Amino acid sequence: MEERRDSVRRHARTLIAAAAIGGALCGTLIGTARACPLPPGVRVESERLVLSYRTIPSKIVVGEHFVLEFAFCPKKNAKPSDKIRLDAHMPEHRHGMNYRPNVIPVTPLGPGRYRSEGWLFHMPGRWEFVFELGAERLADSIRVE
Amino acid sequence: MNRIALAALLVLAAGNSTAQPLEFNGAELRAILRHGPWPAAWSPDPSNRVSGNPRAIELGERLFFEPRLSTAGKVLCATCHAPFRGWQDSLSRARGLAEVERNTLSVLNVRYNRWFGWDGAGDTLWAQSMRPILEPREMGGSAAQAAALLRGDAELACLHEKAFGAPPPAADEAALVAVGKALAAFQESLVSGRTPFDDFRDALARGDSSSMKNYPAAAQRGLQIFVGKGNCSTCHFGPSFSNGEFHDTGVPFFIAGGGVDPGRHGGIRKLQSNRFNLLGPHSDDRDGKSATKTRHVSLEHRNFGEFKVPGLRNVALTAPYMHNGSLATLADVVRHYSELSPDRLHADGESLLLRPLRLSAQESGDLVEFLESLTERASALLPKRPAGPCRG
Repeated sequence: MEERRDSVRRHARTLIAAAAIGGALCGTLIGTARACPLPPGVRVESERLVLSYRTIPSKIVVGEHFVLEFAFCPKKNAKPSDKIRLDAHMPEHRHGMNYRPNVIPVTPLGPGRYRSEGWLFHMPGRWEFVFELGAERLADSIRVE
Repeated sequence: MNRIALAALLVLAAGNSTAQPLEFNGAELRAILRHGPWPAAWSPDPSNRVSGNPRAIELGERLFFEPRLSTAGKVLCATCHAPFRGWQDSLSRARGLAEVERNTLSVLNVRYNRWFGWDGAGDTLWAQSMRPILEPREMGGSAAQAAALLRGDAELACLHEKAFGAPPPAADEAALVAVGKALAAFQESLVSGRTPFDDFRDALARGDSSSMKNYPAAAQRGLQIFVGKGNCSTCHFGPSFSNGEFHDTGVPFFIAGGGVDPGRHGGIRKLQSNRFNLLGPHSDDRDGKSATKTRHVSLEHRNFGEFKVPGLRNVALTAPYMHNGSLATLADVVRHYSELSPDRLHADGESLLLRPLRLSAQESGDLVEFLESLTERASALLPKRPAGPCRG
């Protein structure tokens, strides 16, 4: 009987501990998501970062300027870098844009969210966005008609 | 798009046409449709408050044919941009008061440009219109001379007042800018008409097989080369047949006296130091949106020897060709791209875009036929406008 009670106590302790760990983990995850929410957009991930971007207007027109908004979150407690460099190029043509976009922190939307102006794709075909955030390099391809 | 392909195939199957429509694949169809509709949409230039203003267009037209803007009263804008020569001069290199290094670009359809001049040193048509007035080898004028003309000629002063809502400015520089803006308003009104290509393109878009038959078979084959293996439409893009940017196409850029024409590299440097650019005090664009290109344009080493991709509408009327007028005919231009030496291309990416096409004699002829189908002749005449006196 005592053995059974001990066993129940042991199970209860295990369950409480598991619940505590699970709760803490869950809290951490929810906390991380809350601390670094990503706006809707195209998701690009590297080992240390997850990034979301969108263009304004959403459909890129050859020969017309557009704006790029993006936000990123560090993964695995990686330290976010404030050294940001953005570019785009056509891999098949081995050339980039004729314009240099800027990066302006989008302060009203919170930290880690940015707006970049000055983009223009001057040819139809496959373009690759390149996001360099410190040592991290994320890229995403898009076809423009 | 599939519907269009199907229509093209059905027409092909019908087989009773004078010009059997070719079978274009999906990528070719998309590329063809991007060259229209024509005329393309356009909105007035926000940096020029009289853009689209009929009185400014009238003032600009008078100034365009006004020899008193030049130093000795000998040269007018129309000296190099003659309407009956496709709004250019048919010379290899332009000649005002003296010969310059570059070929004259037509001002027809100039309103669709992003940058102006072979090197894109102008970011607005009004600033570009002031440049030859001040250039010693072209018109050799000055701000003071332009201002005195605008203030001193009663008709011009009256038109200025009606266009701008005030008499000509007292400051010479502001008066010169007004001259540039009126000239721009006039040139923006010069748009080429519809061509046999436009009729074919629109018929293709709506699947109208009987209208498609009117387009010559050789022009269709040339079009297929243009959007296909020729890769021409990558740069000669959109309704104007230009992506508005700059490329090195293997045309030598050495000039007389042992110098070189820096092309786009020099153009960006001139643009950035020009007080009449969109970032300067004379732009009327209050929100500064139109200055995005000027703010963000990037000066790169590869820009050296790059020249503007000219639009191809009415191209048959604008010989000779290339930035230095070195190629006399469209057949010469096609031969240039057919036999192009990649060694002459200094920019890395250009050699991937531009490869010698090695066209057969028939293919070359077809491509010329297509280019000629981009031409109409009515826009070589001045538009009819009421010519009553301003103060009448």
